[in-house]
Amino acid sequence: MGVAVMGVGMCGAFPASDGLSYRELIARAAQMAYRDAGIVPSQLDGAVSVEEDFVSGYSIADEYVPDQLGVPRKPVYTICGDFLHGFGSAVMQIETGRFELVVVEAYSKASNVLHKDELLHFAFDPITERLGVSPHYLAALEMQHFLAGSGFDLDDVAEVARRNREIALDNPLAPYGGRTTIEDILESRPVALPLTEPMIARHADAAVVVVLGTDEAARRLARKPVFVAGTGWGSASSIVARRDLGTSEGTEVAAGLALAEAGIEDAAAECDVFYVSDLYAHRQLLHMDALGLGDAELPALNPDGGCLGMGDLFEANGGARLYDAVLQLRGEAGSHQIEGAGVALVHGWRGLPTDSAAVAVLERERRTA
Amino acid sequence: MTRVAVIGAGMTRFVRRAEETPGELASRAVAMALADAGLGLEDIDSVCLGTAPDAFDGVHMKGEHLIAGAGATRKPYLRHFVGGGTGVMSPIHGWMHVASGKFDTCLVVCEEKMSPCVPHPAGAFLTIFDHTTEQPLELTLIHIFALEMARFMHAYGYTEEEIARVSVTHKRNALDHPAAQIPEEITVADVMASKLLSWPVKRLDISPTSDGAVAIVLASEDVARARGITPVWIEGVGYRLDTAYWCTRDLAFPEYVALAAQDAYRMAGITRPAEEIDVWEPYDPFDYKALHHMNGLLLDRTGRTVRRLLESGAFERDGSHPMCPSGGALGVGNPISATGLMKIAELYFQLSGQAGKRQVPREVHRGIAQAWGDLMQVGTVVVMSSEGSLPIRQSNWSGVTADDLPGTPLKSVADAPHVEYHPDLPYAWDHGYALTTYLEGFRVGKIRASYCAGCDRMMIPARPFCEVCDLRAVDRYFDLPDTGTVQTYTISHVDWASAPLPEGKVNIFAVVAIDGAAEKMGLVHLLGEVDPAEVRIGMRVKAVWKPETEREGKVTDLAYFRPLAPEEEAGEAEVVMVKPAELTRATAGSIRGRIPLDYAYTAGLGGRRFYTDLAEGKLSGTWCPECEVLLIPPAGFCEECLEVLDPEAQARAVDAGSGVVTAHTLVFEDRAGRPLDAPVWVVQVEFPDAVGSVIGRLLGDPEDEVLLGLPVELVPTKEVGPEHVAFRAVG
Repeated sequence: MGVAVMGVGMCGAFPASDGLSYRELIARAAQMAYRDAGIVPSQLDGAVSVEEDFVSGYSIADEYVPDQLGVPRKPVYTICGDFLHGFGSAVMQIETGRFELVVVEAYSKASNVLHKDELLHFAFDPITERLGVSPHYLAALEMQHFLAGSGFDLDDVAEVARRNREIALDNPLAPYGGRTTIEDILESRPVALPLTEPMIARHADAAVVVVLGTDEAARRLARKPVFVAGTGWGSASSIVARRDLGTSEGTEVAAGLALAEAGIEDAAAECDVFYVSDLYAHRQLLHMDALGLGDAELPALNPDGGCLGMGDLFEANGGARLYDAVLQLRGEAGSHQIEGAGVALVHGWRGLPTDSAAVAVLERERRTA
Repeated sequence: MTRVAVIGAGMTRFVRRAEETPGELASRAVAMALADAGLGLEDIDSVCLGTAPDAFDGVHMKGEHLIAGAGATRKPYLRHFVGGGTGVMSPIHGWMHVASGKFDTCLVVCEEKMSPCVPHPAGAFLTIFDHTTEQPLELTLIHIFALEMARFMHAYGYTEEEIARVSVTHKRNALDHPAAQIPEEITVADVMASKLLSWPVKRLDISPTSDGAVAIVLASEDVARARGITPVWIEGVGYRLDTAYWCTRDLAFPEYVALAAQDAYRMAGITRPAEEIDVWEPYDPFDYKALHHMNGLLLDRTGRTVRRLLESGAFERDGSHPMCPSGGALGVGNPISATGLMKIAELYFQLSGQAGKRQVPREVHRGIAQAWGDLMQVGTVVVMSSEGSLPIRQSNWSGVTADDLPGTPLKSVADAPHVEYHPDLPYAWDHGYALTTYLEGFRVGKIRASYCAGCDRMMIPARPFCEVCDLRAVDRYFDLPDTGTVQTYTISHVDWASAPLPEGKVNIFAVVAIDGAAEKMGLVHLLGEVDPAEVRIGMRVKAVWKPETEREGKVTDLAYFRPLAPEEEAGEAEVVMVKPAELTRATAGSIRGRIPLDYAYTAGLGGRRFYTDLAEGKLSGTWCPECEVLLIPPAGFCEECLEVLDPEAQARAVDAGSGVVTAHTLVFEDRAGRPLDAPVWVVQVEFPDAVGSVIGRLLGDPEDEVLLGLPVELVPTKEVGPEHVAFRAVG
């Protein structure tokens, strides 16, 4: 049948957003997406919100979804995952043939979460993993396993952080752009060695809204749709003590599904723009490996600055990447436009303590019938 | 679009407190469902899971925590969530996986552990209310149910005794359900005599809190037929979520259920549900709710059909409209999401003739299951059907008893190794533009609204866009009179954590429709200066404000509403346009709050083994006979093959002094990100001939370098919890 991205909207990213309630933040992004999609929300057949209760700070986060999307009484549910998980679910929803127009939304008001590391610690297994120290310990153990098994070293990890923050300077939406050096990063404050502070994406506030529709509806209504070539998602075991910490099997499963659906055999050669989760600098390298991109030279990698440049947006991370991917494919990314972008691979990871990932492949035009 | 069938089901017992961890509970339901469907884990293309608020199990991102137990290792896995509606949303989401053509099979799992909440799971419900406009009033779930029950009784003329009959019937039906938590023969008099919690809600009107898990297997038509089993189809699905502004609608009729049911009926080709549906499983967390939801499922705002059916005994198992033949939440138990899936499983059993003693006598071809959730907002509905004439099947399920179902009940969490935890999670929620204006109104003793010209609604709380007019901007703010009319009320004898209030004290909560606002547009608040026996729906009330110096710009600046005497009536409601608050550094504020819960987690079957060994400085692994590997830490199931394991019977000793460090890190911050006085070594340690590792601290001088491959041994400790797991270098 074919599913298309009809419109996108974004509000953010900001280190803090105290002039806007979460409702106002989301409504702003939603209205932008609806205008871009050429619809009003009463035309929607459904909505998928991507959210976690403890990030929002209240129980049953989906209660507070419909109003600011303009969809009270419509079919609405929440996916607890990365934006790209909700995206994959919404695509399935449309492919049942029973829903034509569906909106996907996620937001971060990280500035309202006062104890973020404590929150992360609370996600760890209470019987085996909550050691009572910084939860970033797990990222350090991962990094060690990965570096031991790959050809990369600590300088390569620091280079990821250095590069993504520098690239972010060209993205007007990115709050954390900056020029730094590998030495700076390695000598910075240790959190859990060898992990230093700049290797961890700082948090930010933002809302991302994406309108999806059938290809037919998109061509009829939307200003400049881009097309979904493939989606996939996957998770490695939740039992950290028995998980292979040097790989991302979740990414392998997700990429396997998405690329097969998109008919892509060599992602590095056949895609033009790549978004690979860099919530931790080492994870970008680890994910590249799992995506089958290895150590390919990819100039168009995280052109929006990634998580390190835009900020860790909790469940909205994959959405921010997807937003940029759509701009790239439309040729509307301005100062950080990748020339000739025709196919985008967008990857997201949920962060510690998970190895849950999702992938979406978007194309400027339908390459296959 | 591919047709989707249910081809197997599994479940644990529903108990007040299970020893198993969430993952162990889920694994047992999954293993049973796979066996029932005659499939292995390798035949499952995708997994989706539903579980209700993380606040119960006490794990952030609870869905991730459940991956291994849900059989989702290295599979496409999604967790969906719509509060209490999750259980019936689960098969709907699973249906999407298969009907879209993306996957041929989908394992659908629901798990809930409500017991870790200390002192009681009811406390988790404080945070379902809006953190700014409602939580300061300290409402809990029982209160919103009570408000709805009172409104329902008023609108449809039901007495408490009539409603109590539902509790009696469901608890009796549950005597035949193997998973049932508190099946029993009770009478209407028993219900009426049970403890009054918040009028009109009494203890026996409510389903119990529970731990439990249920799993079903969905398959495409091709896969189902290839199995040679007569399929039970998912014929229609519907799900609807209403506005969060629950005080703006009449609670008497569940519009969201009716709309969801209509979606499901349209898909299933049903035009006369009362005649075409043979068996009904509406969600019954409270007894009145079953009737309330049935009005919705029957698309009958008059309520006459349900009254007739109730009075004629048609809802009994041998009646024309058997309702909750399973025993429902009231009888079987209510581990929120798992309850909904239990109802789906019940339809699967009924429609395939496997329901044993619960099998309804009449011929059944179509059944409907429904769940509800949130602030009286969510309706999730599934219509299932069988093919042809009812197959009489002698299957495992027909004769299953409680002894056949997994789940280890504990009387108290203290009866098993457990870990206590106090999360320190504060928040500060930004008001933003509209709420700043609304709250500023309270500070100056005014109830403030905003007006949408598109739908001609004067709206409380004041909001910056209209949710029904396609997010049309709302820029006009008004002060309203501080008088109004009681739409519904409850007289509470319990606080937000369900603890009893001091003797003689009650809180009267009411939804008050404010004069000058749109019809029925109200807010929830307290009533005061009134004898509880005098409170009436339709009563006129007026706000009593705190003294100006005590007002802070919170909804509690309004202390309560008191009765308004006829001679005090002001006549025409005075509505005055006001200048909205200007947002500056000084005015842009937030409201603080925190997660108000503590937890006591059972260590589980694997954890019991691990910490019992650790007390003596020992370590054992659990042997998986299927994979032929020894798993550490000890495990209640194998995540690779989903074999259910017994960490006691299948234990094999591992030399606790033979550990080798395979990863390490020096940690400089505590769990909240504050600098530690002295950094701490964390190590991952593997043991020969065992799969897995143990992660813990390394004792000793943090200055010493730790090398990979360092031999270490576990340090014995009687303490239970990962903070106490420690190693020291050997020799």
